[in-house]
Amino acid sequence: MSEAAGDQAALEVVDLHKSFGDVEVIRGVSMSAHKGDVISILGASGSGKSTFLRCINLLEIPTSGDVFVAGEKIRMKTNNRGLYQPEDIHQVERLRARLGMVFQSFNLWSHMTVIENVIEAPVHVLKIPKDEAIEQAEALLRKVGIFERKDYYPAQLSGGQQQRVAIARGLAMNPAVMLFDEPTSALDPELVGEVLKVMRDLADEGRTMLVVTHEMGFARDVSSEVVFLHAGKVEEQGEPRQMFTNPNSDRFRQFLSRTMQ
Amino acid sequence: MDLILEYQGQLLAGTWVTIKLALLSLLFAVLFGLIGAWAKLSKNIVAQKIAGAYTAIVRGVPDLVLILLVFFGGQELANSIGTLTGLWDYAEISQFAAGVGTIGVVFGGYMTETFRGAILAIPKGQIEAGVACGMSRLTIFRRVIWPQMVVYALPGFSNNWLVQIKSTALVSVIGLQDVVYNGFVAGRSTRQLFTFMFAVLMIYLVLTAISDSGLRWLDKKYSKGIVRSDDG
Repeated sequence: MSEAAGDQAALEVVDLHKSFGDVEVIRGVSMSAHKGDVISILGASGSGKSTFLRCINLLEIPTSGDVFVAGEKIRMKTNNRGLYQPEDIHQVERLRARLGMVFQSFNLWSHMTVIENVIEAPVHVLKIPKDEAIEQAEALLRKVGIFERKDYYPAQLSGGQQQRVAIARGLAMNPAVMLFDEPTSALDPELVGEVLKVMRDLADEGRTMLVVTHEMGFARDVSSEVVFLHAGKVEEQGEPRQMFTNPNSDRFRQFLSRTMQ
Repeated sequence: MDLILEYQGQLLAGTWVTIKLALLSLLFAVLFGLIGAWAKLSKNIVAQKIAGAYTAIVRGVPDLVLILLVFFGGQELANSIGTLTGLWDYAEISQFAAGVGTIGVVFGGYMTETFRGAILAIPKGQIEAGVACGMSRLTIFRRVIWPQMVVYALPGFSNNWLVQIKSTALVSVIGLQDVVYNGFVAGRSTRQLFTFMFAVLMIYLVLTAISDSGLRWLDKKYSKGIVRSDDG
């Protein structure tokens, strides 16, 4: 399923399924993101959108389906108990490092300062020399507007500041794709804007992003594509303006009317 | 005072045995504690059960009973095995080894619970963030879990350690010449038990005071960024 050279997708997901016990949460979702794409994944709670995102970097192990990162397929096998599993954990670790992840609850390492959080993975996973990593991290912290707090600990920062640090931490891996899992859902309303602004800047500079979000404004104005999930399936997808002004499916129309009043 | 000076060689030798015993058994206790905590938190049901049985037994039986059991029972067991297999005639378990082994195993049970609780106190998302960055399990342990686990474990660990130092006194019953044994012998032969036991008491207080300041230093070193009063 990989595409012709020159038009290789930064990320491609093919027919992904995920069950928890008997409950099938993702029922065959495919998606591809090319360089510079910003894809917003929308859906009501329980639609499986976060689970889908977490399956991409194997925080959840899918039940079946394939994931390609920059053209490289994550090799999976079915073990003797019939469980779908990664074939080579080292390959998984290497490809995870190519996907930056931003979580709803920031998940900064609380025993490290801001700058230590940002250089941690470059130094200990990518094995970049420390001084080089610091230089790069300082540039990223300036970009997300939090350089002057670089020696603070996460507990000393507001939620919005922590999330901006988390974004810098993801960017520090120089990832092929940034994955955002409801990055503003845990924030006080007045802090949402500063995080969205950073994300908007990233979109403008051509970062490839997959964003699970409830921010309709962001989905409509910033993303290049919107995917609406319902009950573990893609219900509707397309160009945002088209979808928001003239939705095809009743379910998306209902979803819009509920969230945009 | 003169009496104590006269016997100071024996007291110091005994103190040294106590210190060695405490530190070596601590090493084992930490090792067993880490393995036990790992087993209890693992997805492997067999490992969970074994670790569960381990902590239930060692925490449910007096240390003294276990020490006597290991020393005398172990001796018998070793000899029967020797007779049965014909590999050796007579084996003797050293009192020191029996003491280190038993105290290590017993306090490993307490450490298991302390470490398990400490690992559970680390927000799961921080471990996930490590996974998402492509860290290996070892890197996650070294860089994310360990430094935070130390902080959360320290209060329980300190408590265990203080009890453990004092528990080493129990090995005097199997004849190991630790500070209690030597103090007791000296006290009896001079008929000055109070003086010598008081000296032993002071020695224990000095040992626990020293460890207390060591633990405080550890706490300072590791508690950066951790907010205690609330969950931040």
